[in-house]
Amino acid sequence: MRGRRRLPRPLIELTATIVAGLAAGALLVFAFGHDPIRAYRALFVGAFGSVQDVLETLAFATPLMLTALTFAVGVRAGLFNIGAEGQMYVGAVGAIAVAGLIPLPPGVHLAAATAAGMVAGGLWAVVPALLKVTRGVHEVISTIMTNWIAFYLSTYLALGFLTGAGRGDSTRPALPTARYPVLTEDATLTAVIFVAVAFCLAVYLYLWGTRAGYELRLAGENPEAARYAGVNAAGVTVMSFVIGGLAAGLAGASQIIGRPPAWALYATLGNVVTLGFDGIGVALVGRNHPLGGVLAAFLFGALAHGGRLMEYQAGVPSELVRALNGLIVMTLAVPELWTLLRRRFAR
Amino acid sequence: MKSRPGLLALVTVVVILLLQTSAPTPAPAAARVFKIAVVSDVGGRGDLSFNDMAFKGGEDAERDFGVRMVELVSKVEADYVPNLTTAARDPDVQLVVGVGFLLSDALAQVAQRFPNKNFMGIDTFSQSIVKDKFPAKYPLPNLMDIVYEEHKGSALVGALGTLLAAQYNKPYIGGVFGIEIPVLWKFEIGYKWGARWATEWMLKNKPDKAFKYRSDFVLWTYTGTFSDIPKGYAAAKAMYAKDAVAVYNIAGPLGLGINQAVQEIARARGLRSGPPFWIGVDANQDWINPGFVIASMMKRVDKGVYFATKWVRDGTFRSLVKQHNGVVVLGIGTRVAGALAEGISVSTLADLDEFVQMGVNAERLTRKKVLPAPPAEIRARVKAMRDAQPAWVWQAVAELEKAIREGRVTVPLVLTKPDIEKWRNELGWTPEPKRRVS
Repeated sequence: MRGRRRLPRPLIELTATIVAGLAAGALLVFAFGHDPIRAYRALFVGAFGSVQDVLETLAFATPLMLTALTFAVGVRAGLFNIGAEGQMYVGAVGAIAVAGLIPLPPGVHLAAATAAGMVAGGLWAVVPALLKVTRGVHEVISTIMTNWIAFYLSTYLALGFLTGAGRGDSTRPALPTARYPVLTEDATLTAVIFVAVAFCLAVYLYLWGTRAGYELRLAGENPEAARYAGVNAAGVTVMSFVIGGLAAGLAGASQIIGRPPAWALYATLGNVVTLGFDGIGVALVGRNHPLGGVLAAFLFGALAHGGRLMEYQAGVPSELVRALNGLIVMTLAVPELWTLLRRRFAR
Repeated sequence: MKSRPGLLALVTVVVILLLQTSAPTPAPAAARVFKIAVVSDVGGRGDLSFNDMAFKGGEDAERDFGVRMVELVSKVEADYVPNLTTAARDPDVQLVVGVGFLLSDALAQVAQRFPNKNFMGIDTFSQSIVKDKFPAKYPLPNLMDIVYEEHKGSALVGALGTLLAAQYNKPYIGGVFGIEIPVLWKFEIGYKWGARWATEWMLKNKPDKAFKYRSDFVLWTYTGTFSDIPKGYAAAKAMYAKDAVAVYNIAGPLGLGINQAVQEIARARGLRSGPPFWIGVDANQDWINPGFVIASMMKRVDKGVYFATKWVRDGTFRSLVKQHNGVVVLGIGTRVAGALAEGISVSTLADLDEFVQMGVNAERLTRKKVLPAPPAEIRARVKAMRDAQPAWVWQAVAELEKAIREGRVTVPLVLTKPDIEKWRNELGWTPEPKRRVS
């Protein structure tokens, strides 16, 4: 009922925000003395100009759709879970531990390494979940703290137990049996994207197709009604944290066993750092919807990959490319942010 | 509710299509330009180290060879492969440079995909990755790793520190190291060897200041980190507490921690200039605290980019790759194709100006304060510090450099476990005990 009346709204909003974002970006580029048309052309050619560019864009999108899911499932359950970053770190460590240290038969190895990453992320998410349901600790505080703990713990494990021979810069690489097949030599996209999309799809089906998923959404939309209907609030909280942790853990694993050329975790965690926080923006652009997040991640991937041609061809300095991307993302996220805040203050 | 993602998809596709049609690939310029592409690591421009030096080398090549440099700054590690690929796909680019060892894997991969383009890595080990993973293709004919003789540079600053210890009558010099990986052994033994060489030189040439080399003369600590600045501070503080005259930074950013320890002493005693000193690494770090950084052991990344461009232009790049098995070493007295090609030096006032200029540029770029003082003042203070040291100190260092260049002395190059044990036994075994600093 409500859905029918609001049907055109996202469309209008989206078109308006895209236009506004591009216009604001054009002004920014113009203000710094560059040709906005040339810059945008380079951006789009860079992101979609050839098959290999589209695949590279998808490679950048893969982890983001998952970390977006972490935030989105939290919001759906009425939580503000910003713990994707830390859950992703431990997911990456879990994946490389199994992929790099334990020789297993092909197939099994890949599945085991993927599962290890997801389980590690899922378990890491249980900590703030339990703090919330047993002691009432606000998840924003606890996830910020667990993010830092995860950062130092992962660095320690990566450097202390997982380093390769004579290399201090990264862990040992994943054994060949634990690597997702590369789809083409021309891009860093691997088959891990199918796992990522399947996971997003599964969460979508769970949220909109099962009773437990309905309860989770109800608890987020209207906690009073949920309590009246006998929904177990603590159970919902833990569930949404765990699903989010699994997603973030998979995101971390995807960068280790599903992304050439290193197939390893850098000692600085450089190849996973910030992906978790970026997921928050992706989730907002994707309207906190599992499938919206997939599309929004594609947009983010396009900005991340297309930006390099903007720098290379249109001569826009890389800092300005980053500012432009930020501006576009911000304008796209405004409507959802507005909805979220309105809901917060309405309570 | 359900239609939202569908709509999103539709709009996205429409927008993409609209922009696709209006975006033909621009035609290449009529005149063929010779381009080199420099792909930075995540430090980016304004790091006042490897990346800035690489861009400077590109600018020097632009000036001398009429080439054009294009830059690609990597924001995240995942950018390495696509950045190298973007550069290699440009038909005008003849040389793709990757800056820093983090790009090793990416270079090894991308160089195989573009066999008719030339690739060069600074401080990389790409060819050894090729050897491990694709032994049949080793060495790749279009890929050159340029590495540096850090052991020789470390010997020079080891000698410098020791001569200052004699001049100021101090009992120790020190070295703060990062994670104990074989690469750092080169620095460690080079530094100690240089210290011993200086004591022998003084016995012959400066008997009034001379003292005998002792096994505990060089204090050294492996902190186990390249990022934890307080650990650098703690390690250096312990060394200065024992009255070390100078501490060598072999841990990148930990130099800021060493500098903190020096600053504390300087403030407590009201000093305008060292001793105590510290010694910079990789880049020219003399500007960080003018008057207290006696010199820096410089790895001339700019020279690497400059030479590689020259070799590509002269058409000798691939034969040199073949000749050197893919790894070209720049150092002191190193020759490539019969001509001197060096890449290690102790910092001078001339390169201080270049780095101060980089600092000015970085300030403009990041809007953050980088330089501790106005450029003229930095220069004046560094010059005053250098002039305050006796001439025989600089002479001795120059003498050692000449002896290394002419092959009259050999600085040990230590890369293996048995070697490091042997040399540690010879030059002093006891590492500095880790002390709690309250």
